[in-house]
Amino acid sequence: MDETTKTLSRRNFLRASAAAMTAAAGVPALKGLVSTGHAAAPAPQAGSITDHFTACDMCFNRCGMIARVQNGRVVKLDPNPKFLKSRGMLCARGNAATAHIYDPDRLKHPLLRKGARGEGKWQRITWDQALDHTAEQFERIAEKYTRCGVMFSPGSDMQSQFLIRFAEVFGSYNITSHETLCLLSNHRAYLDTFGETPYADVLYTKYIIVAGANPYEAIITPDTIDLMEARKNGCKMVVLDPRYTKTAAMADEWHPIRPHTDMAFFLALAHVIIHEELYDREFAANMLFGLDELSAHVRKYTPEWAATETGIPAEDIRRIAREIAAAAPTAMIYPGRRTSDYEDSSQIRRSMAIVNALLANWDRPGGVLASREVGVRAPYFDIPWYDDNPDDRIDHGMAPGLIHHEGSFKLMRDAIIKGEPYPIRGWFTFKTNFMQTAANRNKTIEMLDHLDFIVNADIAMTDTAWYSDLLLPSPSFLERDDPVSALQGSSACACAIWRDAVVPAMYESRDIRWICTELSKRLGFPETFDFSIDQYREWQLASIPEAAQAIKEDGVYYNPSKVYGIYFDVPLKTQAQKIELYNQRYANMGLDPMPTYKPPRQEQGKLRLVVGRTAFFTHSNTNNALLIEFEEENTLWIHPKTATRMGFRDEERVFVTSGVARVELALKFFEGIEKDTVYMATGFGALSPGQRLVHNRGASIAEVLEDHVDYISGNMAMHETFVTVSRKVG
Amino acid sequence: MKKYAMVVDSSVCIDCKGCMVSCKVQNNVPKGYWRNWIKQTKPDFSLGKLTRTHFQPGGCMQCDVPTCVTACPSGATFKDRETGIVHVNEPLCIGCGNCVRACPYGARFRHPEKRVPDKCDFCFSAGRLARGIPPACVDTCPTKARVFGDLNDPDSEVSRLLRDKPTVRVTSKNIDTQPNLYYITTTEPADWVGDVEYPQAYSVMASLVSPLVKVAVGLSALGVAGMWAKQAFAPDPPDPGDDEHGPEAKHSEPTASKQD
Repeated sequence: MDETTKTLSRRNFLRASAAAMTAAAGVPALKGLVSTGHAAAPAPQAGSITDHFTACDMCFNRCGMIARVQNGRVVKLDPNPKFLKSRGMLCARGNAATAHIYDPDRLKHPLLRKGARGEGKWQRITWDQALDHTAEQFERIAEKYTRCGVMFSPGSDMQSQFLIRFAEVFGSYNITSHETLCLLSNHRAYLDTFGETPYADVLYTKYIIVAGANPYEAIITPDTIDLMEARKNGCKMVVLDPRYTKTAAMADEWHPIRPHTDMAFFLALAHVIIHEELYDREFAANMLFGLDELSAHVRKYTPEWAATETGIPAEDIRRIAREIAAAAPTAMIYPGRRTSDYEDSSQIRRSMAIVNALLANWDRPGGVLASREVGVRAPYFDIPWYDDNPDDRIDHGMAPGLIHHEGSFKLMRDAIIKGEPYPIRGWFTFKTNFMQTAANRNKTIEMLDHLDFIVNADIAMTDTAWYSDLLLPSPSFLERDDPVSALQGSSACACAIWRDAVVPAMYESRDIRWICTELSKRLGFPETFDFSIDQYREWQLASIPEAAQAIKEDGVYYNPSKVYGIYFDVPLKTQAQKIELYNQRYANMGLDPMPTYKPPRQEQGKLRLVVGRTAFFTHSNTNNALLIEFEEENTLWIHPKTATRMGFRDEERVFVTSGVARVELALKFFEGIEKDTVYMATGFGALSPGQRLVHNRGASIAEVLEDHVDYISGNMAMHETFVTVSRKVG
Repeated sequence: MKKYAMVVDSSVCIDCKGCMVSCKVQNNVPKGYWRNWIKQTKPDFSLGKLTRTHFQPGGCMQCDVPTCVTACPSGATFKDRETGIVHVNEPLCIGCGNCVRACPYGARFRHPEKRVPDKCDFCFSAGRLARGIPPACVDTCPTKARVFGDLNDPDSEVSRLLRDKPTVRVTSKNIDTQPNLYYITTTEPADWVGDVEYPQAYSVMASLVSPLVKVAVGLSALGVAGMWAKQAFAPDPPDPGDDEHGPEAKHSEPTASKQD
């Protein structure tokens, strides 16, 4: 693996980085910086440093990085100034990846469980034993329960495609990852409105409403950075959030909306825009389907009505509608990312998509954009037919808008526990930590009781690993050669990257490509993985062979493909071939063809729990010595008036009880939260002692959240849990 | 000859902590300590929908009137005439902690193992400037709130910003330290800077004795012995820089001053 490491010579790097800085920032490069100076000035560090392009893996964004290596060790990670998607930046998490790869808690050898699950007794075994055991277990399950009896969770890694390839050739339809805990309701909504999942052209927008999103903390590149650049150019930002997030803290206007009432706000915007005729008539005539139906539908959704639901004054709603319509089409409702909020999240996001449609911003600068051409191909492989397999995935038909290749973790888990429509007995997880991310952890543990064999590949002992039967140690993202990945950074770029190992794989870790290759030999389909990484990359780049050189030189290849007007003379991929304000398919399935508001549930004496994350913590993989310094445990944010009425003191430790669990947290009094809502951050309360920095610190959202579901997409609904807060007794 | 400086647009800081982690990794800053910081205003929720928070990145200001240098009895702390950077020559340090108290910004801390002061040097000793790479905090910043460069170079970004934009500096009430960290247009909070505190005995001597004499004192046998003893056994000075928010405001008025 080490031979393939591409190292820039120092001189080349200096030239490249200086040129890039000049280009990227529009400033003169730093030149001839420092003279010998004062005789006693400290000398720069000894030992030569080499620089390696790579891409970050601390979250899903894949920001461009330069790894600086000294004496065989990664000593620093810096942004790649030539990387347009991340705008030449690296966040706190990316910087902290040094602590991630040199984490003392890393898995070092294959481990086989000895005691009961979760007991923490392990036996070190060899790779051959681990692979033989896995192949035997998979064959046994396939024999008895069909190949669909093994579930695969391939994660969101650059190598996930290898595990998907493996799963499909092995013969299981049951593939699911974290997406149904995250963004699938938003995808559903935009697919059912525009026929595509959109990219937000934040950089060029002039008016943006951010609802159900927190881009200054839940960083998305380039959106987060572009949102600041756009505002320097006069863009107005209105934030709706029951919590005073850092996005809210920097907004032109922050409206602490009552949770689960966003749809009322957006239906009222549609009401004003339609009934005051503030929309583009020509665009409407050419592009919109069902405007008359929508017009009649939103007649009753007046700003005055929405004010009583949302808590936002009617005059503000009306004014915001007029302002954003005046800024259209360079205006948008920000689509957001994690939309696993409510039981009708798909419809809530539909209401937002519909307002975007009324702003005529589709496929236009400053609006919501279609996918661009990158040119990276998915290498072909044969999927064999297995006669005894069931007809479809286990969760098929359990939600009307299930996205077929993702399914729904929540619905699959329920089906596995029931054993219907058929049993699943094995689970292969790679870099996915459902025990920390999926609501109702106790139910995940219950699901494990129905599984005979769980194999987990990861770099550390996550909670999911802790409850597994066999652990396969993975290298970190800086220790392996990854295939090409295509990325779109809104209008900034459509690009291709790969990763070469920056340092050799540590301990006995092996990447998932090697694991799949070795297992495929044992399971009788060795040809599926009979390729080198270079060969695989060539297949991927067959239509853009020039990309390889660019990736070697700059760490990234840009395809200068069309950005706007992609659908200028092409019909949309919806049933009506237009933007569907009225969705005919929904009507046929008995769903509301247009979003219909239902008031939020209230539970007497209880508070609605919402969750989120900070800019310096990930959802489930932050066992990081550098990042833990910013927040050593999570707290329960509560409005001081609510708390004092209930007789609590600030920082008091309390019990927080939902319908599925009781956890303990310290209170944090904070005026910036809606009075009937409480908030906690993700990433704490790990069960696994192998996550020593977050083990038993604070509480896990996965433990306390009830497992509600978006009835259309099957996405988890994580803001539907009501809790009681009570004094800790004893 | 260079005069390195930082010009910060605090209005675009989103408090992501990227600069703090980047600095910590680059300079091996120990757990619990920081060479730089992000401060913030307290939101006034009575403003309703207009409630705002202003975040303010900072670090050593590499002052032109470096009170830490004045307070240093051994000459270990000095301002490099070639770069304008304030450095600590660690072998000369006797570990007295005077410089830590003399810095009104809390930009210095006593390193828990080395027992000498530690501070931002614009990543000079980490070798970044020699390689043509900006300081770690500047390089990594998502919104490019921090801009670094040479004020003696009229074409540098920092010179251009100072020409084109109104700027303010944050300084102590009792002594204008003439910091080389500028904030574009305005910044908040401005009430956190403490007073410069000189030890009584040194305040007279240190202002009289020439730097050469100070170096001689530092190198004398007595100085070396004293250095060893003090580094090994001296209690930590009341260290204001050991949390991410830096020092508590001691007793001074806001003193952000317009830069002309």
